[in-house]
Amino acid sequence: MSSLFNKNESRRLGLAAEHWLKECYRKDEERRDSFITLSGIPVAPLYTPADIAEMDYADALGFPGKEPFTRGVYPTMYRGRLWTVRQLAGFGPPEETNKRLRFLIKQGATGLNITFSYPTLRGYNSDDPESEGDAGRGGVAIDSVQDMQVLFSRIPIDQMSVSLVTCNPSTAVSLFSMYLAVAEKRRMAPGKLTGTTQNDFLMETAVTVAPEPMSPRQSFRLSCDLIEYCIRQVPRWNPISYTGYNYREAGATAVQEIGFVIANAIAGAEETMRRGWGPDTFLPRLSFFLSAHNDFFEEIAKYRAARRVWGRVVRERLGSKDQRSALFRFHVQTAGVALTAQQPLNNVARAAFQGLAAVLGGAQSLHVDGYDEALCTPTEKAALLALRTQQIIQYETGVVNTIDPLGGSYFVESLTDELEQRVWDYLEEIEAQGGIVAAAEKGWVHREIAMSAHQQQCAIESGERKVVGLNCFHDECEEEEVELFETPETVKVQKAKLDRLRKERSQKRLRTALDSLRARCADGGNVMPAVLDCVRSLATLREVADVLRQELGVWRIPLV
Amino acid sequence: MAEKRLKILVAKLGLDSHWRGAMVVTRALRDAGMEVIYLGNQFPDAIVRTALQEDVDVIGLSSLSGNHLVLAPRVVQELERSGARRMPVILGGAVPKRDSKALTKAGVKAVFGPGTPLEDIVSYVRSLV
Repeated sequence: MSSLFNKNESRRLGLAAEHWLKECYRKDEERRDSFITLSGIPVAPLYTPADIAEMDYADALGFPGKEPFTRGVYPTMYRGRLWTVRQLAGFGPPEETNKRLRFLIKQGATGLNITFSYPTLRGYNSDDPESEGDAGRGGVAIDSVQDMQVLFSRIPIDQMSVSLVTCNPSTAVSLFSMYLAVAEKRRMAPGKLTGTTQNDFLMETAVTVAPEPMSPRQSFRLSCDLIEYCIRQVPRWNPISYTGYNYREAGATAVQEIGFVIANAIAGAEETMRRGWGPDTFLPRLSFFLSAHNDFFEEIAKYRAARRVWGRVVRERLGSKDQRSALFRFHVQTAGVALTAQQPLNNVARAAFQGLAAVLGGAQSLHVDGYDEALCTPTEKAALLALRTQQIIQYETGVVNTIDPLGGSYFVESLTDELEQRVWDYLEEIEAQGGIVAAAEKGWVHREIAMSAHQQQCAIESGERKVVGLNCFHDECEEEEVELFETPETVKVQKAKLDRLRKERSQKRLRTALDSLRARCADGGNVMPAVLDCVRSLATLREVADVLRQELGVWRIPLV
Repeated sequence: MAEKRLKILVAKLGLDSHWRGAMVVTRALRDAGMEVIYLGNQFPDAIVRTALQEDVDVIGLSSLSGNHLVLAPRVVQELERSGARRMPVILGGAVPKRDSKALTKAGVKAVFGPGTPLEDIVSYVRSLV
């Protein structure tokens, strides 16, 4: 163990810094009473070597691709391969989204990222009465395997990684099965498929709401079924992406975001191990999804701290022996909640800074928000500008030329340490609640996030936190100046397809498949093979979801 | 004479999944001394049924999914059908300005777009009753 700086030298520097603070720095000239990060961490006027005097380089930073992974998960990082440019897309019927996907690929996107409509995510068909008003909104409408086939038509899914934003385990099992069935039809071996399903039970039960949600325990079970299925059948697929991004959107702080994703990954890993799988058979395939919010340095420190915490959890708690298991690989989306509907073009600047933070933090893939996303699904124009923003970071700024360029910054290292310590403390709090599943069942997770959301709103209302164009620098008579996206006709298109499907399929085969799914639900076995069989038998999304709702029960989300 | 305590029903409209705004507003209304029933996600007929059973003063809808033009007018129509046309319906969420006009024309009393200060919502609700 050796600290980075000579002990006497850093003591001397520490005294000098204190002297400077007392003699030169004018506290009474400060603009405000306190300087804090977006998550409430105090920030000092100046950081010096004295702030990281105790830091042991090998222990705290190390080298990229080596423990403790502070500086990055891969040895070459962006000098070897740039992050995946993965812009979200999804709206209307699959025919329409397919066009947008092919447009993005043509413009240089290197991965796909597909959102599904509200009814699809919640297990309703587009022609159900519940879907009225929401069909084709928020993402693409998928009612059966035939829609999934249309969605990926003329797209080489064996050659690019595909992220399926299947938030809720209760429908992730069906949507992923449809994807597998499409690959099967196109004669692609499951072992070759690369990509990610979101599949996070907190997404289903804590950070989003819906009528008839599943309980945390059942949703968690289904998500582990999908993980287990991938170990056996789809080994290069990331079966889960812990959606810290969405926890943050709902109100969580940076510390809560990382605390929740890691507690959640611990629970998923321990359950999978309980089912008999060794840690290193699946840990390398767990992945994470984080936000890039407004506080530039806090976000960078957050990504660095997350890598350090996860690496240690994997080794010390989960007993992994394989270094690949310890890699905290993550996708980033710039914070939708930071966008304003007022002066929407300001969002171009916000998203660019946020995207830059993700890159300086070592993200593996990135979505930059469109400037119109506080108002609607991005238009093609907004989506293209977001894509170009990423390309400008990649090819013009030069930040990709060296790895972890902020490593060693007195401030960034101090903040990384601080965030790490706060995450460890928060993990202990979650543990004291009985772990993440119990904490969600009790409504503790909901209360924690709602409390943070309330505090942030108060900070904006009081003007303590400034939002340009919203609580300062607003134009009195400003009008929306951007063109808004129009969701293409969905219900009619989908209904026609569903009517045909219902007529053409074999009722007998369908009934048999749904019955064996029912049996799996009851006997506690892995539901995935049965769901896959339902999908192949042309079951609609809702038919599968109804079986799951009937057999596994529905729950009431404990909000307020 | 003691001031009557206002009673408000807050509901997420249809399948919209974002709870943050509805929760923050619910808390602000409670902090202002009102009684708030948070219904969670519901469809127009159930929202109106609950509003009548609970005899609320105002119905507050929240939607960020874009379903507002279809479902919010449906709530107003259901109220009319139930003979309660005077119960005010207000809506908050990701609603572009051009849609606000259509909504107020369809009988929604007020629309609060993104970035509305909580104070504005609280004082508007007070002014309704």
